[in-house]
Amino acid sequence: MSAFAIATVPRPARPGTIAMDPARKLSLFEQHVIPHLNAAYNLARWLTRDSHDAEDLVQESYLRAFRSFETFEGGDANDARAWLLTVVRNTCFTWLKRKGGQPTVEFDEQMHNAADASPDAESILVNQAALASLNTCVEALPLEFREVIVLRELEELSYKDISGIAGVPVGTVMSRLARGRARLRQCLAGALR
Amino acid sequence: MNCQTARQMMETNDPALEDHLRACPSCILRTQARYYEAPPGLEGRVRQSLRREIAPREPWRWMAIAASVLLAGSLAWNVALVRSGVDARQVLAASVLSAHIRSLAATHLLDVPSSDQHTVKPWFNGKLDFSPPVKFLAGFPLLGGRLDYFDGHPAAALIYGRNKHVINLFIWPSTPTAETEQTRNGYNMRTWSGSGMTFWAVSDLNATELRQFVSLYRQPD
Repeated sequence: MSAFAIATVPRPARPGTIAMDPARKLSLFEQHVIPHLNAAYNLARWLTRDSHDAEDLVQESYLRAFRSFETFEGGDANDARAWLLTVVRNTCFTWLKRKGGQPTVEFDEQMHNAADASPDAESILVNQAALASLNTCVEALPLEFREVIVLRELEELSYKDISGIAGVPVGTVMSRLARGRARLRQCLAGALR
Repeated sequence: MNCQTARQMMETNDPALEDHLRACPSCILRTQARYYEAPPGLEGRVRQSLRREIAPREPWRWMAIAASVLLAGSLAWNVALVRSGVDARQVLAASVLSAHIRSLAATHLLDVPSSDQHTVKPWFNGKLDFSPPVKFLAGFPLLGGRLDYFDGHPAAALIYGRNKHVINLFIWPSTPTAETEQTRNGYNMRTWSGSGMTFWAVSDLNATELRQFVSLYRQPD
């Protein structure tokens, strides 16, 4: 076995085979999926904007992930994290939808352009006072932008992984990221005024 | 420079950092936005709920047999009562009370013994097609939860304590019903409905304290 194999998460079971021994399944799951608890919580916390709800949803997500662990196709630690985050994302979205009141994506092109046209947008960003408002501005982003921003900037996932998690094409991920960043600039500039 | 080196430079206050941040808005997020770490205790709760998930189901099979025998018996009894013209609500009250007494008599008070609402609530997921509100109530510690069956529905039973008394709070989805209070065989019972669910609180607790329990539970969060 090569050294690389140590970091590799095996595929728990092939479809159509007899269900694996629960104790072995649990030990594989604990070894490879539990370590991504912080990532799961961070995503749920940013999506729900509430620590209580995030805790409940992370627990629910882990149960769901465990029940469908057989669907995980194996891979490295990053694949295991992306797979878990897909479950967390879907659990949170289902919950948010049921709860209602989540604004859908509607993007104001004028605002977008105005933000881009501002010449010192970046210098505004490094201003300390603006940084203080950064978290508030991320929270204020519409869900679809917040999702890709958190996955990209905080989890540092690839566009391909984000596309899989959010269930949208890579092109959409990239445009949402660009729009999300533009909105952030706009929000931070507003916070400074 | 990439964002990783930028993050390391945060600590050293290197002037080159500011130039990089100006050029790279991602870095600002990566170095400045809050990363929420899982609160302590969450990992333990996750592991616990996974253990429960793989716990052997043998006792369940035995309980399922016992439950079907009880159910068949109670169905026959209910049919007899309906034929005899007894008010359906009183029949329900009687079966709620039986469930309360049965839960205390058998060794089946709690399926999920936990005083933590974040353990009890997720436990019901996948077992019920509704989400019972599990609340923390001052003076009435949560003891745990259990699955039950009433009126043709699976029901959630939340178990709260008060000194040495046990309160069973049964919840299942239903159309709104009238709010009532009654005493049967020395047990106090209160029922009400809301959010598409019917609630029955049963206990040998005195009527005043049970009323207090109900009003605490019904307080909006």
